Amino acid sequence: MIHRLLDPILNPVPPKFHGVMGIFYYVDDAAEAVTALRQSGHKDLNVFSPVPHHEIEHALEQGPSLVRWVTAVGALLGASGGFGLCYYTIASWPLVIGGKELFSLPPFTVIGYESMILIAGLANLLGLLALARLPQIKQVAPYDPRFQEDRIGIWVPCTGEAVGRVESALKGHQAEEVHVHA
Amino acid sequence: MSTTRIDITRDGVNDVPERAVTQKSINDDVLSMVGIPGKVWWAIFLLDLIVLGTALAAVRNLIVHGWGVSGFMRPVMWAVDITNFVFWVGIAHCGTLVSAVLFLFRSHFRRAVYRIAEAMTVFGVLTAAMFPAIHTGRPWFDYWLFPYPNQRQIWTNVRSPLEWDVFAVNTYLTVSSIFFLVGLIPDAAAARDRAKHPLLKLVYTIFAFGWTGANYQWKHFYGAYLFFAALATPLVFSVHSVVSWDFAMAQLPGWHSTLFAPYFVAGAIFSGVGMVIFLLIIIRKAFNMQHLVTIDHMEKLSKLVLLTSTMVGYSYLTEFFMAWYGPSSAERDLFWFRAFGHYWWAFWIMFSCNVIFPLSLWFKPVRRNMAALFVLSIFVNIGMWFERFVIIVTSLTRAFNPSNWFYYRISITELALIAGSFAWFFMFFLVFVRVLPAFSIAEIKETLPMPRRRANP
Repeated sequence: MIHRLLDPILNPVPPKFHGVMGIFYYVDDAAEAVTALRQSGHKDLNVFSPVPHHEIEHALEQGPSLVRWVTAVGALLGASGGFGLCYYTIASWPLVIGGKELFSLPPFTVIGYESMILIAGLANLLGLLALARLPQIKQVAPYDPRFQEDRIGIWVPCTGEAVGRVESALKGHQAEEVHVHA
Repeated sequence: MSTTRIDITRDGVNDVPERAVTQKSINDDVLSMVGIPGKVWWAIFLLDLIVLGTALAAVRNLIVHGWGVSGFMRPVMWAVDITNFVFWVGIAHCGTLVSAVLFLFRSHFRRAVYRIAEAMTVFGVLTAAMFPAIHTGRPWFDYWLFPYPNQRQIWTNVRSPLEWDVFAVNTYLTVSSIFFLVGLIPDAAAARDRAKHPLLKLVYTIFAFGWTGANYQWKHFYGAYLFFAALATPLVFSVHSVVSWDFAMAQLPGWHSTLFAPYFVAGAIFSGVGMVIFLLIIIRKAFNMQHLVTIDHMEKLSKLVLLTSTMVGYSYLTEFFMAWYGPSSAERDLFWFRAFGHYWWAFWIMFSCNVIFPLSLWFKPVRRNMAALFVLSIFVNIGMWFERFVIIVTSLTRAFNPSNWFYYRISITELALIAGSFAWFFMFFLVFVRVLPAFSIAEIKETLPMPRRRANP
C-alpha cells in the first residue's frame, strides 16, 4: 500500500535525455576529459561527484558563488530592520525605565546585531537554494547512485554527430563506462 | 581499483585493528548506523521516555498549581530553571564552535566529529529554550516575548537583557538548525540512494532536497557553507555573552562584572566539548566507529577541554581577586560566602570538576585513554551545571539586604525538571543516531587522498 502510494514520488519516470554520460574513477582522468570537452565547445556539461574536486572546478572555470551577495543584502536588511524595530518600538511608546535613555545605542546594537545574523542566515539559505536549483524535483541529467559513493560522472548534452565525438573523447580519457542517451 | 588507507594510528597507540577506509566504505560504515534499531536501543529509549514522562508530570503540576510546588520563593526566583537554561545553552555552543569556528580555521580534525556536535547544538538549544518558556509561569502567553503589533499597543522592552536573550537564543536556534540541515543535504542523498523502506526513502528524499552532487550544487553549497560558518562564529560568542548579561546587567554582588561575557563563553565551550566527548565515546564504541573517530580526534577535543578549563579557572580566580581588591564589601562578603558559606559544597564540586580534575589532561596518556576521558567528561558537565547553580543561587540568597537572605533547597519537582531536561535532550539524540547519518560522509571523504591515475604534477 505504502509502496504503491509513494512509488510515483520516489521513483518518477525519468525524462528523455539526449547526450552522453561518462563515468570515471580517477579524478585526473575526469578533469582532463572536462578540459578537452570544453575546448571542443561543450561548455554546458555537468559533472557529478561525491565530493568537490579543485581540479575539476579549475577545468570547469567556475567563478566564486554569487551566494555571498544575497547574504550581504540579507545582513544589511537584518541590521537595519533590527535597529529600526528598536527605534520604532521606543518611539511608539516612550516609556522611561529606571531613568535610562530612551534611544540608547548599546542595547539597540544587541538587537540589531542578532537580527543581522538571523536575516543574513536566512538569505544565505535562500541564495543557496535558488542558485543550486534546490529542491531539484525534475531530473536534469541521468543519475547514478554511485555519484554519492566514489564515482565521477560527466554528462554532456548533445545530439546527432556530436554524440560519437563525445563518446570517443570520454573513452579516450579512460572513462570506466560510457552511456549514450540518444 | 585502488584502495587508499588513512593513518588511524599515531605514536603507536590505537584501540582498534587498522581497517581500510575507502570512499565507498565510508558510505557503508556511516549508513550502517541508520535503520531499524535493536532491543538495546528500544530499552534505553523507553527508559528515557519514562524519565521524560515524570518531568512532564512535574511541569503539569507547576502549571496547574503554580510555582509554589517547586519551592521557588523570593528572593530565589531563578534557581534551577535558569541554571538549566544556561547549562543547556552552554552545551549547545560547542557544536557551532566545532562546525563553524574550526571550519574557518581549516582545522580538519573537525570533519569526523562535527555532525554529532552540530546535532548536539540544535538539541541543546531546544532543551534550553524550554526553561524560560516554562519559567514564565504562564507558558501560553510566551508569544508576548516577541515584538509584534498588538491591540494592547505595547512592545517588548528592547533595552532589557532578557529581551536580548529572546533575540539571541531564537537567532541561534534558527541559524544552527539551518547550518545542521544544510550540512546534511549531501549525506541524506547518499542515504536516499540506499534506503529500501519507502518511508525511510521519503524522509531522506525530503532531507536531500533532490541533491545529485552536480558541480553547480557543490559550488554554491560550499559558497553558502563558508558564510554560514562566518555568520555562526560571531553568533556563538554573542549568544553566550548575551546570556551572561542577563546576570551582569543586574547590580547584584557576584553578577555585576565585565568579566562575565568571556567567562561564560569559555565555560560554554568547556561544557560543550565535554558533552561531545561523552557522546562520541559512546557512539564510536556502540557502532564500532573507532576507525572514523580516532584517538587523535579525541585527543584534540580533550586539548580544547584543557584550554577552556584553564580559562574558566582563571575567571574564577579573577572574580575572587576583584572581590578582594575592589571597593565593594558586599562583593567581598558574597565571594567568601560562595566558597565557605551554606553552599560551600556546590562551590567546591564546581571548582574541583572544572579546574582541578581537568589538570590531568596535561598528561598525554590521560588524553588518549577513553575511560579516563569518559569519566572526565562527566565531571566537566557536573561541574558546569554547578557553576551556573553557584552563580545564580549564592548571589540571589545573599543580596545587599541581610533581611532578605534566604536558604534555598532544591525540591523534588526541580530534580524532576533536571532529569527531564537530560531525557528530552537524549530523546532527540537517540532518534538522530538511528535516522540520520551521524558522521559527515562527504567531509570525511575529503580527508582521503583522491584516486589518481598519475602522480600529482
